[in-house]
Amino acid sequence: MVYSCGPPARAGQFAGPGSYTARAMTSVSLVFDGVRRRFGRVRALEPASGRVAAGEALVVTGANGAGKSTLLRCLAGLLAPDGGTVEHVEEGAALTPPERRARIGFVAPDLAFYDELSAGENLEFFARLRGLPAARAGELLERVGLPVDRAAGALSSGMRQRLRWAWALLARPRALLLDEPFQNLDREGEDSVRGLLGEHLESGGLAIVASPIPLEVAGAVSHLTLGR
Amino acid sequence: MPSPTSHWVASARAVFAKDWRCELRSRYALNAIGLFAVTTLVVTSAALGPSGSNQAMAINVLPAILWLILLFAAAAGLPRVFVHEEESRTANALRLAATPSALFAGKVAFGLSLLLAIEALVAPLYLAVMNLNLASPGLFVGALVAGGYGLATGSVLIAALASQARGRSTLFSVLAFPVLMPLLLLAIELTRNSVAGDPAGPALPQLLLYDGTVTIAGLMLFPAVWNP
Repeated sequence: MVYSCGPPARAGQFAGPGSYTARAMTSVSLVFDGVRRRFGRVRALEPASGRVAAGEALVVTGANGAGKSTLLRCLAGLLAPDGGTVEHVEEGAALTPPERRARIGFVAPDLAFYDELSAGENLEFFARLRGLPAARAGELLERVGLPVDRAAGALSSGMRQRLRWAWALLARPRALLLDEPFQNLDREGEDSVRGLLGEHLESGGLAIVASPIPLEVAGAVSHLTLGR
Repeated sequence: MPSPTSHWVASARAVFAKDWRCELRSRYALNAIGLFAVTTLVVTSAALGPSGSNQAMAINVLPAILWLILLFAAAAGLPRVFVHEEESRTANALRLAATPSALFAGKVAFGLSLLLAIEALVAPLYLAVMNLNLASPGLFVGALVAGGYGLATGSVLIAALASQARGRSTLFSVLAFPVLMPLLLLAIELTRNSVAGDPAGPALPQLLLYDGTVTIAGLMLFPAVWNP
């Protein structure tokens, strides 16, 4: 496994209240060291290390099967790593895995929603689970350009990706884990979510972005390459 | 900011409401459970006839057949409460958003209400077609409610365990046997007492103890089963 982790290009900026994304003026960092994972005999993720701080993005690249999605799932707390450490700190306090699951925003191709419910009903359900006002769902759907009353099962793949973004930003997370975040999006959709990502980073959030191909992300960016 | 308790209750209610909304739009579990229950009821009544007039048959055989119908009807639909989340890939969104114990409570409430609805349909039909007279209708209803609660809670817990395995239906059957066997024996005994006009005896407190134990075990075990 080879990895490189470069320095940030510039310091993070902070947005005022009313931002669609991360809450303003909060400190957050995510450091992982030697995180690895096997599925049976298959070594899905060789030991990987990196760090990302407030206002920064870490772009993780690597060939198919290099372990990018596995790394993000380990960082999200959806998969227990076989070894290594993950330290997610917000406002000076290290989060436990359950707290990490509750605090992060996650976009991934295999994240699905209830086909029987509309886009609005899906987000309102998850808003209730997180103790948020249902109005937050409408705001985000408007921002990503999705009709509130369209059934999730009737959304195109690009629209589903927009719904994933809206879902990820629901609780104004300070850490975003993005697995192929621009997949299936049209130009307008990509501009929209890139705008959201930019706002998130400017307001002091952090992001880890996984992609099989090199990806341009505005702002303070470091890189990690996974591979065998 | 809601208190932790009110947030927990709101989360469980949201899961309950979401499951019913999805169920009423897809009708998968309702159709599976309802059709199985009515089919077995018709077959049983055709094979045995109105055998409730035979006192020995009414006391020794018919209560057991009623509970077998309810057991297999539950097994036809209740495992879906978690299997569907895994198969439709909505489970990870739930893992990231829901408090595990609130999710379990919401799923149990959904499973219980579904089972009580089926019991409300099946039990009067069964009494009518079998010409089965109840000496203690109150005890009969108590047996249905307390037995239904244990059946729903046990089935939901087993479904959560089985949903993450490959051979889901086999594992459900294997786990259901030891977990649900004591419940069924107690529920059958209570139902038998309600037909014979005997007092509830030790079966009622034992059934309530079972219900309490499986609830506590579910709330304690579920987070470990559900999260990595």
